[in-house]
Amino acid sequence: MSMSLKRCSAVICAIIAAAIVLLQPARAQETPYFVTYSHHMEEPGNLEVEFNPVFGTQRGGNSYLAGTTEFEYGVKAWWTSEFYLDGQSTFGDGTLFSGFRWENRFRPLMREHWINPVVYLEYENVNEADKAMIEVVGFDEEADYAPPNSALRQAHNHELEGKLILSSDFKGWNISENFIAERNLGHDPYEFGYAVGASRPLALAASARPCNFCAENFLAGAEFYGGLGTTWNATTSGTSHYGVAIFGWQLPNGATLRISPGFGLNDNSHRFILRWGISYEIPSIGTRLRRLFE
Amino acid sequence: MSRPQTLVPAVLLIASFASIAAASHSSRRWETDPRGVLIAIARAPEKERARRNPYAEQRDAVLAGAKLFREHCAECHGSDGWGSRHAANLHAADVQGATPGELEWLLRNGNIARGMPSWSGLPEPRRWQIVSYLKTMH
Repeated sequence: MSMSLKRCSAVICAIIAAAIVLLQPARAQETPYFVTYSHHMEEPGNLEVEFNPVFGTQRGGNSYLAGTTEFEYGVKAWWTSEFYLDGQSTFGDGTLFSGFRWENRFRPLMREHWINPVVYLEYENVNEADKAMIEVVGFDEEADYAPPNSALRQAHNHELEGKLILSSDFKGWNISENFIAERNLGHDPYEFGYAVGASRPLALAASARPCNFCAENFLAGAEFYGGLGTTWNATTSGTSHYGVAIFGWQLPNGATLRISPGFGLNDNSHRFILRWGISYEIPSIGTRLRRLFE
Repeated sequence: MSRPQTLVPAVLLIASFASIAAASHSSRRWETDPRGVLIAIARAPEKERARRNPYAEQRDAVLAGAKLFREHCAECHGSDGWGSRHAANLHAADVQGATPGELEWLLRNGNIARGMPSWSGLPEPRRWQIVSYLKTMH
């Protein structure tokens, strides 16, 4: 890790720590998904900080631990902006920063409907050693991760990604479908992918008293995601697909813990992946930071 | 890194920060319908307006609603619901005059164009519990 990156990380950590010390707890409308997006946007003015590691097994190479640190900000009730920092550590190889992503989500319809669309646009600047796997597109497969980091990090990808997010809430369930199109700015055809998820709190009504272990604080569900080939060859074969279970625990202090064991559904996929994550909602971050300097 | 590769993210970043800066909060005008209920609430369809709160008059629902209010609503409306420049005073007649069905409809849909998020991610029973609590504020 370079000195400038270390300094940048220290500044970000200091700002987050100051904001956390000053904040009152708030709870977002969390869905427990790691890959699928729903139509629930970040509340305006709030900043959600997330750390989402993923452990993956690797045939033909060493297993790895990758992860993203995410800063999600509610610009408007219909516009959420999110910045990602990616990194990974491959066992017996090395640890490296693998790039950044910046995405914006826009909700075009101002009311709730049976199906609620959201438009997602992302720019990503990551190298081939990125193993966060926050989406699967094109012909992504397990073998892509097998070469050593020293070789993978040489190739940089500057990509634009669009998603159409469709999401519904019904009797406590959230059901979301994402259709993904990604294109390397330098070359290559469009690559496609999908992600679908369903989740529900274990209890729909809230209890009268604050509690940590009430059923209302727990969420469970499942996600499926994978590649759909390219414009030259749109197909579900030759790429990887995953099915994962997801569990979430929302704490009254604004933190959410999530875990998601998952399995590859064909021979092109990692056999086992385990994701976990912690997120923390910082309400009205702009107002709080302004108060620091008043 | 070649120049075009640097230019694209730079343009994207500048455009976005400019947009975020331009997206300042608009000033609020609290318009009401002939009943004296906020227009944002009174837009609820007739069918929604007539819906009854399944938790009406239940003490536990009010307590649960108060807890949910602190977690989700107090940040904008204040811990006691008196509101702010950008969020309505929930004690006022233009809110309390609304039916429970209208309030649940507003929570579900939000007033997204004016800054209030949709709370459709909260299960419907929890939205009714919040309505039960709101109705104790009159």
